[in-house]
Amino acid sequence: MDLRWQVSVESGRVVGVPAGRVDETTWEAFTGHLTAAVKEAAANGAPLVVDLSGLDYMSSRGLRALTIARREAGETVAITLAAPNARMREILAISRYDKLFKIADSVESDI
Amino acid sequence: MLVRFWGTRGSLPVARPALAVQGKIARALVAASGRKFNDELEAHAWARNNLPFHTYGSYGGASSCVEIEGADGAFIVCDMGSGLREFGLDAARRCADGHPRVYHFFMSHLHWDHIMGFPFFGPAFDPGAEIVVHAGHPDAEQALRRQQEEISFPVPFDWLRARFTFITHQPGETFQAAGLTVSMIGQHHSHESYGYRFERDGRAVIYSTDSEHKLDNMESEKAFEHFFRDADLVICDTMYSLGDTVSLKQDWGHSSNVVAIDLCHAARAKRLALFHHEPTYSDRDIQHMHAESIRYEELVRADRPPLEVICAYDGLEVRV
Repeated sequence: MDLRWQVSVESGRVVGVPAGRVDETTWEAFTGHLTAAVKEAAANGAPLVVDLSGLDYMSSRGLRALTIARREAGETVAITLAAPNARMREILAISRYDKLFKIADSVESDI
Repeated sequence: MLVRFWGTRGSLPVARPALAVQGKIARALVAASGRKFNDELEAHAWARNNLPFHTYGSYGGASSCVEIEGADGAFIVCDMGSGLREFGLDAARRCADGHPRVYHFFMSHLHWDHIMGFPFFGPAFDPGAEIVVHAGHPDAEQALRRQQEEISFPVPFDWLRARFTFITHQPGETFQAAGLTVSMIGQHHSHESYGYRFERDGRAVIYSTDSEHKLDNMESEKAFEHFFRDADLVICDTMYSLGDTVSLKQDWGHSSNVVAIDLCHAARAKRLALFHHEPTYSDRDIQHMHAESIRYEELVRADRPPLEVICAYDGLEVRV
């Protein structure tokens, strides 16, 4: 399954919207999109919200790409993961990524 | 092949204190409340079927030592952790029944928890025993000799009576040993570590412990997917959560349950054994980690064939 990605600026935030799944076949594309989104957010002085609502699931490759993105973002860009589906919520809990990232119920609730 | 786990704990052997054992007994008594058993066999049968493993059993506390049976009659052993002592006692019993006194060891690396059982390995004193140590490290012999120097142990290596051979292999090399085809892969760990692939009659067992899959080197995981390809059993370092390995415990040289599952999925492996358990984990913690691992496998399986996720414990036998 392909990974699709859209990015927009909404309410002073950069919102990245991946769709599909992130696994061993798509993580490199996901990393590239995330890196570009972090740069865009930094250039705009804006936080980055990753809207997970269109994502079927993300394996460890995608989760680790999120960690790389946050390291690149440093103190400049806050990253929030928003609207994970039930499967993604479980994955975030099992991996303990729910302790590493801020998780918002929806994109709107993170405003 | 038959895989027998003699030690499954990481970093440091552990023994459950009295309080932990008392807790198991109390939970079992409460669960069995009102029941009557005519003998111990009946009680065992009920407990086995009705109590969680963390209450009826234990994952054990010996450090890494795994035996693979089923080659040319020689013993095949991965690592010399504290589980080696029990293996040595059992091997002596089997040798008394006629088993050849030939031992092939395959060393992941030379850190203390992986060699500490060797000074207590009885067959090393047997003048009729032949011990072959396979390693990726050229300093394997030095590591074993050094831990038996007087400052650490009263019996020097030179007092051992078995015939020793140390063989250093190169990563990527495939060689024959004890009737098995063996290949080796370099892994990321302090002072390096090595994983092994053992093959015989179309079956493959992987031993890959103390291996960190680095955040900034995910491209290298393709090599592990190839190394694990179509394996019947992958024994994998799953010491920490993924979150731990990218934060507090980054660069500690270990991996996570979810990375192991992803590698096995990509490799189309059939069965994963969670291994090298964190020494601070209780039996309940390890069983919880096992349940989470099974669930994660379901969540990310998609259209791949199911991967069976088992949790290694001291005494577990797995037929491949």
